[in-house]
Amino acid sequence: MLVCMAWAATESSALAIPAFARKYQTSCQTCHIVFPKLNAFGEAFRLRGYRMPGETEEMVKQPPVSLGAPAYKKLWPQAVWPGETSSSVPLAVNVEMADVNASSLNEDGTVTSVKNDLQFPAEVALLGAGTLGEHVSYWSEVVFGEKADGSVEAEIEQARIGFDSPFGPEDLFHFRIGKFTPNLAAGLKGGIFVSTDAGIDSFFGYNPIGVNGGTGPREMTPAPIAIPGSVRGIEGYGIIKHRALWVAGLVNGIGPSAGGNFDGNNSKDVYARFDYKIGGMGLDGDTGGQPYVPEKNWRDNSLRLGVFAYRGDGSNIDFPMTLEDGAERHMQDVNFLRTGVYANLFFQDLNVVGAYLHGTDSLKAFDTESGALMRAIEPNWHAWFTQADYVIYPWLQAGFRYETVTPADVSVPSLRTGVFNVSALVRANVKLMVEYQRDMREGDNHSLNALLRFVF
Amino acid sequence: MTRYSILFGAAVAAIVVAHMGPLNGAGSTISGTVKVTGLASNADVVVYIQQAPGTFPPAKPAEMDQRKMQFIPHVLPVVAGTTVKFLNSDPTPHNVFSPDNEKYNLGTWPQGQAKDYIFSKCAKPPCVYTQLCRVHPEMEGYIVALQNPFFAVSNKEGHYEIENVPPGSYTLAVWHSKAKAQPKPVTVDAGKPASVDFALAR
Repeated sequence: MLVCMAWAATESSALAIPAFARKYQTSCQTCHIVFPKLNAFGEAFRLRGYRMPGETEEMVKQPPVSLGAPAYKKLWPQAVWPGETSSSVPLAVNVEMADVNASSLNEDGTVTSVKNDLQFPAEVALLGAGTLGEHVSYWSEVVFGEKADGSVEAEIEQARIGFDSPFGPEDLFHFRIGKFTPNLAAGLKGGIFVSTDAGIDSFFGYNPIGVNGGTGPREMTPAPIAIPGSVRGIEGYGIIKHRALWVAGLVNGIGPSAGGNFDGNNSKDVYARFDYKIGGMGLDGDTGGQPYVPEKNWRDNSLRLGVFAYRGDGSNIDFPMTLEDGAERHMQDVNFLRTGVYANLFFQDLNVVGAYLHGTDSLKAFDTESGALMRAIEPNWHAWFTQADYVIYPWLQAGFRYETVTPADVSVPSLRTGVFNVSALVRANVKLMVEYQRDMREGDNHSLNALLRFVF
Repeated sequence: MTRYSILFGAAVAAIVVAHMGPLNGAGSTISGTVKVTGLASNADVVVYIQQAPGTFPPAKPAEMDQRKMQFIPHVLPVVAGTTVKFLNSDPTPHNVFSPDNEKYNLGTWPQGQAKDYIFSKCAKPPCVYTQLCRVHPEMEGYIVALQNPFFAVSNKEGHYEIENVPPGSYTLAVWHSKAKAQPKPVTVDAGKPASVDFALAR
């Protein structure tokens, strides 16, 4: 089941942005190892609000259009605070084409197989990103996916504005407002991975709802209550003394509501994270006063450690279910807590990353008609993964990932998945990827996919 | 050579010397290069002698045009007290005002007209006046009022040349809208060019 749904969630929110290559007249390799995976410089660029470490005007080859002379700052509030916009439309296009081969074991014991389903294209994404003067940045991402019946689904993956270092020491305070991938998920999702998955299924797709707690990752409505890969809300983050990263967010949480609101209830979820990086380039690109002259742009001998937590409130959000007596009930995850640790090691051409996540839920089942409380349980579950990527050549990288989730429902054995990936850059902005995934509990669940992806 | 021609030549020489003024008689040149780190161009750096002995009456009026939605020149150094004529060569109306020092707003006027402003209230040169246009907020220019006429503006390559500097010891300083550098001492000997380079950073 885990494997067969893999292609439903191809890479997203983890994109290379040729608009930046145009702005700086630089190669994708400046920020990416094998796109979208970021190198240390690219991570600093991302965290700094899409500004290069130590950026000067001469580094920007496409000078922005002035929306007010800087001297207007002296006149505020009698004048509009001056800003800038891009001199060319900062758009980029990402196209993915996939050849899907998959096998999945059905509940009735039969096996469904797909052979060479040519999803040409599987997805087209339109991206816009850049800066609006000194302290403002933005990112927007609309993804178009064509379904087998020819219909097209469009989704706003991200649309946000950032306020970067509006006060205080540089990079100590950044704020993001909108829909975005939270920095809670940095390193777990997005720009770090080369694999076809958007992230780690166990972390982002786990469904905790069940008679005896959750049974594992699966699609659900409303959205899964694991940790979110995308949020609507406000996030603050910053870099302390080049090495530490703080993150705090206030977001809608589970949604949508039965009434159609984005927020499933009137309560907000909160999250926090703290990372520290030992060795290598600083999180803000600091090099200790030494010139940045990487012989190999992917190397950054360092260890980054992090802790994170997410507290959610799912009260008054109903998930339909059936108890053992066959009666229709609805269940609420009244409140839930996710805590985890994260580690990311770069050593020469090897990158090993992993994380552990522990989840606690407070589940209450109510009678659908009377609303009476029928059951209350507080199940726990946990998941972890580790992934090793190795750069064989600057254009070729191999990776292996193992992930497992131990569901709260003890009747369900732990899910274990192995992923082997080879990614090759045909050009700096054209990538060919072959990936094999296998459910290590059930041999009939596996897939072998090829992906061709290009951005321009 | 006739007696008349000698008298005529002497008269011409006397007129030329009279117009050169007392300090210009044995003037030398200070030149050099400025490098502005981090910017795409080395232009628009004002290089000037901070303080020269004597007083310097305003030179003839200077001009700053508004053409193609830009202040031209972008940077205009003048001797304090100089009248600057602000032209409008664009088909659209322009306004000129400055939020700096005594602050002024010359109003808005159409193509082909001009307005003057006398930079006489600069008590402690250099006085930098940012020139802005209310009609077009992206427009920006600078007038730098200085104590003496020994100044120059660098070109794109960063080269500058200050002419007719009288012999003496001075402090040479620079001004740029986005970058700074420490002043440097310079000694000017009669008839000998001097060279001073600057490296500016934000």
